Amino acid sequence: MVGISSIGVYIPRSRLDRSLIAKAWGGKQPPGDKAVAHHDEDALTLGVAAAHRCLEDFDALEIDGLFFASTSSPYREKQVASVVATACDLPRAILTADFGGSVRAGVSALSAAIRAVQSGQARRVLVVAADCRPADPESDVEGALGDGAVAVVVDAKAKLAEFLGSAAVAEEITFQWRWDQGGGVQQQDARFALGHGYARDMAEVVSSVLNEHGVGASDLGALAVAAPDAKTAQALAKQVGVDAKTQLVPSLITQVGVLGTPDALLQLASALEKAKSGSTVVVAAFGEGAEAILFRATDGVASLAGRPGVGAQIERKLPLPTYEKYLKFRRIIGQDETPVELISNVLEHRELQQDTRLYGTRCGGCGLVQYPMARVCLQCKAREGLEPVKLKKKGVIFTYTVDHLAANLDHPMGMVVVDLDGGGRVYVQMTDCTADEVKIGAPVELTYRRLHSGGENYNYFWKARPV
Amino acid sequence: MNSIRDKVAVIGVGCTKFGDLYDSTYEDQVCDAAFQAYADAKIDPSEIDAAYIGTYLPHSQGGKAGISLADPLRMYDRPVTRVENFCATGTDAFRNACLAIASGQHDIVLVVGSEKLKDRPGRGIPRIGHQILAKGNTAPGLFALAANRYMHEYGVGRSTLAKVAVKNHWNGARNKLSHLRMEVTEEQVLNAPMIAWPFGLFDCCPTTDGGAAAIVCRADIAKRFRDDYALVKGAALAVATGRPYFDPTFDYVGFRSTQAAAKKAYEQAGIQASDVDLAEVHDCFTWTEITNIEDLGFAEKGQGWKMVEEGRTRVDGDMPINPSGGLKSFGHPIGASGVRMIYECVQQLRGNCGERQVKDPEIALAHNVGGPGAVSCVVVLGRQDS
Repeated sequence: MVGISSIGVYIPRSRLDRSLIAKAWGGKQPPGDKAVAHHDEDALTLGVAAAHRCLEDFDALEIDGLFFASTSSPYREKQVASVVATACDLPRAILTADFGGSVRAGVSALSAAIRAVQSGQARRVLVVAADCRPADPESDVEGALGDGAVAVVVDAKAKLAEFLGSAAVAEEITFQWRWDQGGGVQQQDARFALGHGYARDMAEVVSSVLNEHGVGASDLGALAVAAPDAKTAQALAKQVGVDAKTQLVPSLITQVGVLGTPDALLQLASALEKAKSGSTVVVAAFGEGAEAILFRATDGVASLAGRPGVGAQIERKLPLPTYEKYLKFRRIIGQDETPVELISNVLEHRELQQDTRLYGTRCGGCGLVQYPMARVCLQCKAREGLEPVKLKKKGVIFTYTVDHLAANLDHPMGMVVVDLDGGGRVYVQMTDCTADEVKIGAPVELTYRRLHSGGENYNYFWKARPV
Repeated sequence: MNSIRDKVAVIGVGCTKFGDLYDSTYEDQVCDAAFQAYADAKIDPSEIDAAYIGTYLPHSQGGKAGISLADPLRMYDRPVTRVENFCATGTDAFRNACLAIASGQHDIVLVVGSEKLKDRPGRGIPRIGHQILAKGNTAPGLFALAANRYMHEYGVGRSTLAKVAVKNHWNGARNKLSHLRMEVTEEQVLNAPMIAWPFGLFDCCPTTDGGAAAIVCRADIAKRFRDDYALVKGAALAVATGRPYFDPTFDYVGFRSTQAAAKKAYEQAGIQASDVDLAEVHDCFTWTEITNIEDLGFAEKGQGWKMVEEGRTRVDGDMPINPSGGLKSFGHPIGASGVRMIYECVQQLRGNCGERQVKDPEIALAHNVGGPGAVSCVVVLGRQDS
């Protein structure tokens, strides 16, 4: 029985009230917020955050595959799946691949992970869908596009949902795209692309997978679909004979925006949180065709009840005060931190365990956990008996400053010395916070973020954020 | 182990005006300071056996080598050593010169400290080191980590810090060589733009150009040059971790390097902290002066701030600190600062300081700490009759 055993959602804390966009450009915007990645977040880091949530109950060593889906990977050429795998401290012998091309890639990656486990190619695959799609200022899509990530563990235990089947169609219909010359998401004649393309392709795959597995539309537990707006999803529900009020998973576009590749998986996460064992869920996404996957919830879904899920991510928000700040966060305006030189790939590679997997050293003699990795114990000066130790990612601020001199897009910048649970002390930037959250004794967690860039290469490291 | 005490004498000192020296070069500063010291010692440059140059950053002449002194002074065919040790660079260059004399290798040695910060683009001093770890640190931000922990532990507020600035500016305003020659009020300090909490602009030393020099010789030949020479009583350096923020055993309320260097220097000098009549300490930020007071033993840990509140560290107090104006007002050209402190201590021991003169001092102390807390150097000087 192959299926889903864990699902983790990460929505960035910053939100832009759409009325600020309307205020900037005139005209009307739909109500609500869009989730905005912090200036130090991108699809890669959003993906790492979702993956960490998803892996809370798993031994990283038992993961042997990672598929990363995004239309907004920070790299045109360089695999992100392997970076996410390293930041999650996954083992070396794993299958990795990046999926992209359209926002359908999240469902495509999930589908591919299911096949990989079914075929025996992998035992447990982590699927990560993350997007941080660029929207040109004053464009039609600016109000809609939000940022976020969802990660899913696929294995043969199927603790949450069992895979029943899937269906796909391919059809070239131009709706949203970005070409290779940069710029934001473009969109053409939504009425045609949605009314004709989306409606037809999505209805086809949803109905097909339901029919194939003998699930009547009215018996379906939940329809979890990605859609560019709530009405389009409702129209689809009606078209396939599903009740939009009771069976369609409510759209979160008003709260967080259209996320892209994670959308269908976000709807799936919401559906599973409410699902009863034995109920069915269809997850589907559109993009030059469509793909739908049918699951049946297993007994484990009960475990999701009581846990902080999608709702907690939505509620944990920090409003951006101005539209201009949003433009800075998206690096459309504003001065970045002082650029650095291209970091030596030799140094970077040699220090992966320390800098990316976040290992320190434990002294076998006195027991002190120390970071960075040590040759001689800081406390007892022992040369022998030092062992690598994986650091915990939660801790408490021992001391801090709020630095107005440091160049930073989110000014001023908190710098904190954190005593980690289980030992080790790190000195890192604070992020996702207000200045008054940077204080002695405050609990924080480490989050993998973009640190700086140089030589057209991004450098990532851990920062702290309020818990 | 033999103590360095009374083996080395300071026979000449020199110091340029400190400040935004837009029209002078690094080389000008080296020359001006060195030739002042030659004149002060009434010595010909050819009599110098060896030299030490304390300078932290590379400069326009390039290279991190003895040429940083040899070329500006045309001092060739003799040993010239470049010393770099964070903010303790100047005092450590002086310490090495003293060791060269005490070892018997040389009779007369020149020490110069010079730094040209205004030739650098951008703000403050460049951040160097690991390209990923500890990114985002600035000099004020690093010291602020310690200040905030200290203030948290001992319930000290920003107004106490401000009193350090007020006092040092009062001294510096009366020093014709100092960079920021103006008095400030506590209110001005508290309302200045924030730099790195808890440090506002006036809690921070300026970035300054300047140079200073000292000539040291065997104590037994000092009288050939002058009667009112100063004697080196002790000179000690201590190094702690350069990454205190990664050290889980560090309490962050004081600097172990200063504590160790002071203990050693007092031992060499055969004195106690209470025997020191005035101290030039490393007040790169206002709070640093408070921890220095404690780390140097002038007060118990957690009590130093009270000395500031009670005015005991003023020129007319019982423990005058930074009568020159300190880094805060005199300025802080990194490699020059330590040698500049030697200059001030010598002038105080000679009784040359006018309105800033500490009453009849016999023992003066110079102290640098850099890193923060990574390196500290303490030099104890005494009057020739001490």
